[in-house]
Amino acid sequence: MPPLSTRWLAVLGVLVVAGTCARCAMAAQAGESKIAVIVSSRDHDVPAIDPGMLRNIYLKKVFVDPQGHAYIPVNLPPDSKLRQAFFRTAIGMSELRLQNYWNQQYFQGVSPPFVLGSEAAVVEFVAKTPGAIGYVEPCFVTADVSTVQLLTLPAAASFQSAGACPARATH
Amino acid sequence: MSNPRRRYRHHADLLVWGLAVILACILPTCAASADASWLAQPYRLGQGLYFPQQSLRVGGYADIHFYSLGQHPTALSVEDLSLFLSKDIGTHWKLFSETELGDALVIDSQHATTKDANIDVERLYADYHTSSGITLRFGKFLTPVGQWNLVHADPLVWTVSRPLTTTGSFSRHASGAMLYGTVSLKQNDLDYWLFADDSKAFAFTRSHNLAFTDYGASSTLRNDFQHAVGGQFLYHMLDDRLSLGASYVRYALKNPQQQYRLTGIDFGWSSRRVEFSGEGIWRTSDSPLIPDEYGGYVQAVIPLPRHLYAVGRYERYRNSLPNQWVTLRTFGIDYRPESGISFKLEYRDGNNNAALAPNGVLASIGVLF
Repeated sequence: MPPLSTRWLAVLGVLVVAGTCARCAMAAQAGESKIAVIVSSRDHDVPAIDPGMLRNIYLKKVFVDPQGHAYIPVNLPPDSKLRQAFFRTAIGMSELRLQNYWNQQYFQGVSPPFVLGSEAAVVEFVAKTPGAIGYVEPCFVTADVSTVQLLTLPAAASFQSAGACPARATH
Repeated sequence: MSNPRRRYRHHADLLVWGLAVILACILPTCAASADASWLAQPYRLGQGLYFPQQSLRVGGYADIHFYSLGQHPTALSVEDLSLFLSKDIGTHWKLFSETELGDALVIDSQHATTKDANIDVERLYADYHTSSGITLRFGKFLTPVGQWNLVHADPLVWTVSRPLTTTGSFSRHASGAMLYGTVSLKQNDLDYWLFADDSKAFAFTRSHNLAFTDYGASSTLRNDFQHAVGGQFLYHMLDDRLSLGASYVRYALKNPQQQYRLTGIDFGWSSRRVEFSGEGIWRTSDSPLIPDEYGGYVQAVIPLPRHLYAVGRYERYRNSLPNQWVTLRTFGIDYRPESGISFKLEYRDGNNNAALAPNGVLASIGVLF
């Protein structure tokens, strides 16, 4: 096997650098590729919520925490890109599979989580409601809520942010 | 109150009145816990109508069936009209009821009749969420054996007809108490149901669980529990794409009055291109005069373009009364234009099946509302 020429090494180097930069550029959009799972800052005794537990809370398979306090998961509207990304990443289900799941649960008397109209509404509701759990873009997180999980979305599940982060989020 | 029969009757009365009083009192008044900041969700088929101020959901399902089977007259039937009421009380309690109007109208080539119409309380129970992964249920509920019996509504299943395996050897309903929930096991979910039935004491409706529910079935064998104890486990894997279940029930039927043991297994596997599911049961009796009953089915569903699905099912069932093997082959097509609506057309044939599920064409329109 002949040794690589300096020219080929240079081309290879350029490709590696270009690839790294592309990854850097994607990472630079990290604000659009993370989801903060939030609870009220007043919920001091919230037990740790691992990914499996988060999934079961949102699928309404678990209703209360080990101390017996009720979980109140809240959702964004079905057409929300953030919701779709959240369910693909945290729940592992597409909207269609999820719809079938809820039809079956509905027959068994279990209803899907309540829907709030915007991320700002989710933050406001979670901040005021003990036991509530929501998900928003990290820039929506305020001092009134605590992040219990920060989900990093795989490239396939990343989404375009629907709107600018609120000014108050920079407090 | 020393007479056991009277004591049981008293318990049954207490259960009925207790649930009825709770249901009646909470409907208009006791539910101001819902926060005003909830958005009212737009109504969607298959999700019911939600009243946030009352924490009440009202919904149900309806289906119309068409049969052209064997020697039986071709018929159209308003088969089920079911009403669901679901109500949260605080954060730990929930009430649920399903009231069904069955065979409301049957039309055949000779006449139309409502004489077979019947109203039944299919389910009526209270759930109490005790702690993470444990919920207690009291009342009348669906027997946790296999997956079909737990989710059997026409708009949610793939065929008009129901496999014999899911009705032939056990009561579809139980009355008593149940413990159920979901726990994590090796990073997967394990659903469990453990129940104890005392229908002799707590059954508050006079309806019967027919062993064979299909139109055209000439067997009128009943499978009403007298008492039962059992449970089911369902293990989910591969992001819920694969599930494996097992169930066991020991019970006594009202007629024939014998002790039985039933063991069941079930599975479900789905991918983008195909969905497979199946159930199997094996029932033994303490009496040497009653033969074992066993069988199972395997079903495949293939998605086609334009919301169409091709369905095929093969079932073998060894019945005890009459004592014979039954084979059923079912081929059908489903059209589901949107969630909660289902149009089905299927053809069924088999061997030794005239008495339990005769050959022919079946169709249905089902709506979950």
